[in-house]
This record gives sequence, structure tokens and C-alpha cells, in this order.
Amino acid sequence: MLLSVENINVSYGSARVLSGISLNVNQGEMVFVVGRNGAGKTTLLKTIAGFLEPDNGTIRLNGDDIAGVPAEQLVFKGIRYVFQDKRVFTQLTVRENIQLAAFPSREPLDEAIGKVTNIYPKISQFLDSKAGGLSGGQRQLLLLGRALIGNPKLLLIDEPTEGLAAGIIEEVFQILEMMKGQLSLVIVEQNLAAVSRLADRVYAMKEGTIAAELHKSDDIEKHGFLEQYL
Amino acid sequence: MNPARLKALRRFDLPILAVGFVVLGYLLTIQRTTDFIIFCIFVLAYDLLYGYMGRLSFGHMLYLGTGAYAAALSAEHLSGNPFLAIFVAILAGAAIGAALGPIIVRTTGACFALINLAFNQMGYFLALIAFARWTGGEDGMSAFFDKVGPIDFSKRGVVFVFSLLCLLAVVFLMKRLTNSPFGILLRTIKENETRSRFLGYNTFLYKLIAFVISTTIASFAGALSILNYTYVTPSFIDTSRNVEVIFASLIGGAGSIYGALVGGIAYMTISNYLPNYIQRWEMFLGVVLLILVFWFREGIWGYVSRFAGEARGQAR
Repeated sequence: MLLSVENINVSYGSARVLSGISLNVNQGEMVFVVGRNGAGKTTLLKTIAGFLEPDNGTIRLNGDDIAGVPAEQLVFKGIRYVFQDKRVFTQLTVRENIQLAAFPSREPLDEAIGKVTNIYPKISQFLDSKAGGLSGGQRQLLLLGRALIGNPKLLLIDEPTEGLAAGIIEEVFQILEMMKGQLSLVIVEQNLAAVSRLADRVYAMKEGTIAAELHKSDDIEKHGFLEQYL
Repeated sequence: MNPARLKALRRFDLPILAVGFVVLGYLLTIQRTTDFIIFCIFVLAYDLLYGYMGRLSFGHMLYLGTGAYAAALSAEHLSGNPFLAIFVAILAGAAIGAALGPIIVRTTGACFALINLAFNQMGYFLALIAFARWTGGEDGMSAFFDKVGPIDFSKRGVVFVFSLLCLLAVVFLMKRLTNSPFGILLRTIKENETRSRFLGYNTFLYKLIAFVISTTIASFAGALSILNYTYVTPSFIDTSRNVEVIFASLIGGAGSIYGALVGGIAYMTISNYLPNYIQRWEMFLGVVLLILVFWFREGIWGYVSRFAGEARGQAR
């Protein structure tokens, strides 16, 4: 097992946001987290990524307890986080955005650029343009490509298709499909078509708790009960 | 000017800068031009924090003053060797940056600006009253330097050439620094520090390094001021003078080496020559600030770059 979250509680001040969350991710597995707005999905990802510290419980990556380890250190343990709002560093060029991700992992810039162009070939046309000039879809593809720099073990992606045009959503699906099996992913997503097409396992969240867990073998689409959590 | 020509000019920026200041030296006086050069070094130090890292400081005079006093005290108590004085000033700048940095760089926005101001105010009163026995209090202190081989800093021409070489070295280093991953990271800290952390950067450490580099260069500028004036008074550390470097950075265009140089020269020209024509010339600066804030936020260099058809990022 790559990631094991056991019984964590997370609070913002005195308000508890996550209660008794447990979740497992195997090597190469693609896990989706679904739920309504405010269910605690993003908080869960931020806690795994080291942005928030759980009140109690454990988060283990390859057996090491990483609960409360700062985000910048978790990057070196192989965790990457792609934010929901598709924000790149707008004042930097696309090349500099990639360079910045390549530097901590000591990955040569050419290889890093290669990883991004591998999933989005057109980005090579914009390497010396300011990233602020990219469309929302292009930014998302850049962020997904950039997250692969440094050979991560676990990718946490928050709502990768939110607010994107239909054509780009399909492109994102294909990229996620391409990633499948190569690394482990935890994806927060509201798009049930994506969930049923790609998920190995689904956790449905409700009011800060895990309300249901489904496996691929459970035939996620046929059950049809995921809708009740969206 | 087309982008290709501007790019070619940028390749020769150091020689152009050197020739420009030599011409300025002929047009003005050597001592005044040296003053321009030293101020440009100070603006470059300030711009690393404000322009690149997005941290506005209201207390950078503390670091300039630290360098000036350290150089003067070195000349008085250690040796008359000017290079030793500069070295001591650089060490003092780095030491004060390393001591205060861990407190200051944890803050942002108004807190960052004001905590710098608070330390600057403390430094001012230390120099003025608490350490008056060593600093000469309100009267300040003189510093006289020995001749080192053929180098005689009592000659204004020598100070001018030395300061110009120092400016060229600082510009060269700043170009290397700001175009490196370190420089890129500073710009991302300005834009969104949290995102930088998620890329694996200990942003606190990088902010501290940038802060220490900035205070060290500012102290270096302070030491050069002592070579130019041979005395230091508490005015070198006066909090009210912080506005000078802030204005210069804004006028030239923050976040650009060329902007810092243009701003330094523009501010020094205004502050040196406008008082000849306008009695309350500071009012003019206020009007300039309003215009900058409302209509010309990119400063002179930002607009020159834009009109030259270049993206501002390439102009750095």
C-alpha cells in the first residue's frame, strides 16, 4: 500500500471539518473522491499534501508517518498537489514555470520540458510566453505536466475538469488515462463520467466523513448511488 | 527601437552603463556622479526585496547606515585600510540581515514594512544616543583611509572609478542572481508563496537568503558612501530617508535591474537639481508618486520596455 490514511480528524480553529477519515491508495491505483461542496474533499487533499495538520490519526506514505510534515518536504517524498483553481505563476514564462518545478528535483530542464510536451505537445509553442496568457485549459494541462516532473509517486488533483470546455475535459481524461498505472492518483472530481471511466476505487464524502467506498469490481456506474452524494 | 536592437544593447549593458556614468561625471561633478552610482547600488539592493520578492520595506536605511558606520569604525579602531573597511561593512550588513531576517521575513505586507521601520528607528537612536560614545552621536564621525599601493581614496577620481566598478560588479551579480532559479523563485514568492512551497521550496530559507543579500549590498553601498564623503552622521540611518529608495524603485520600475538603475538616476537628478528651481520640491515628488500609482505602475523602464515591443519579463 502506498498511502494509508487512518482515522484522521481535521479542524479549522474550533470547527471540525473532517471526522474519522480513513482511506487507502495502492501502488498505481487511481482513486476518486466525490461529494458535495463543503463535504471536505479539498481539505482532505490539503491534509495529505501537508498544507494542514490533522488533529489526530495517521497518514502513512510507504509506511512512513507523514502527518504534519510540511508540504515542501513532502514534495521530496514524491507527493505532488495540483490545485483546483488552475493558477500558474502568471508573471513567469511557461519555461520558467517548468524550470521552477525541475530545480528542486534536480531534473534537467530539457527532460522536464519533455514531460510536459509529452502530455501537451502544443505547449512547446508557448514556452517563452508569459503563463498568464494561457487559457484555463492550457494552464490545467501545464499544471498536470508540471506535476509529473521529478517522478512523483502520488499525485493529488483537485477538480481537474472544473470550468473547462468539453474538448479540453476529454483531453484531461485522456491524460489521466495515460497516467493510470504509472503512478498513484487521488482525484477530487464531480464529473461522474470521469469517475466511472477511470476510477479503481471511489470514496464518497458527506459532511466531513467517508460515507461510502466503492471498488471497480462493484461496477461503479451501474450502482448509480454515487449521484446521491453529488 | 525594435526588440532585436534592444536585445543587442542589453548584451552590452555594462559597457554602456560605464560610458554613461563617465559622461555624467563630465557633465556633473565627479563627487555627485559617485553619489548617483552609490545610490543606484542601494536601489538595486532594495529592489531585490521589493521588486522581486514583493516585500516593501520602510526601514532599509538601517542597512545602509550599518555599512557606513561599520566602515567608519573599522577605519577608526582597526586599520585605515579602505578594503578592510569595506569588508567589515559587508560582514556587518550580512550579520544584521542574518540576525533580523529570521524575525522580519516571517511577516508580509504592512507588517513587513513596519517591522523594518521599527528596527530602523531603533538603529537610529542607537547611533544617535546609546552608542554616541563610538558613533559621535549627532555630530557623526569622520573616517580617513590610507593609501593602498597606487590606490588613494582621498582622490575623488579614484573613488568614482572604484564605485563605478563596484556598480558594474553588483549589476552583473544581480543579473546572474535574478535570472537563476533562485531569482525565478523570488518572483513566485511575490506572486503566490504557498504555491512555491508545493513545488518543494522552503520559502522561508529563500526569503532569508534574499534578505541577507539585500542588507549586505545595502551595507556595501553605505561603505562606498564613506569613501565618497569621509564622514557619517545619523542622517545615514534616518528613517525619513527611506522614502528616497522607495521613490527611486517606483519611478524606475520595480522588479527590474534596469528599472532600479533608471530610478536611481532619475531620483538623484530630481533631488539634486529640482531644489534649484522649486523651493518645496518634495511636493513635486508627491505628485509624481500619485501619477505613478494611478497611471504608470510599471515605472519608466516598464514603459520603455513595453514601447520597445518587448514583454516585461524578457527585459529583466
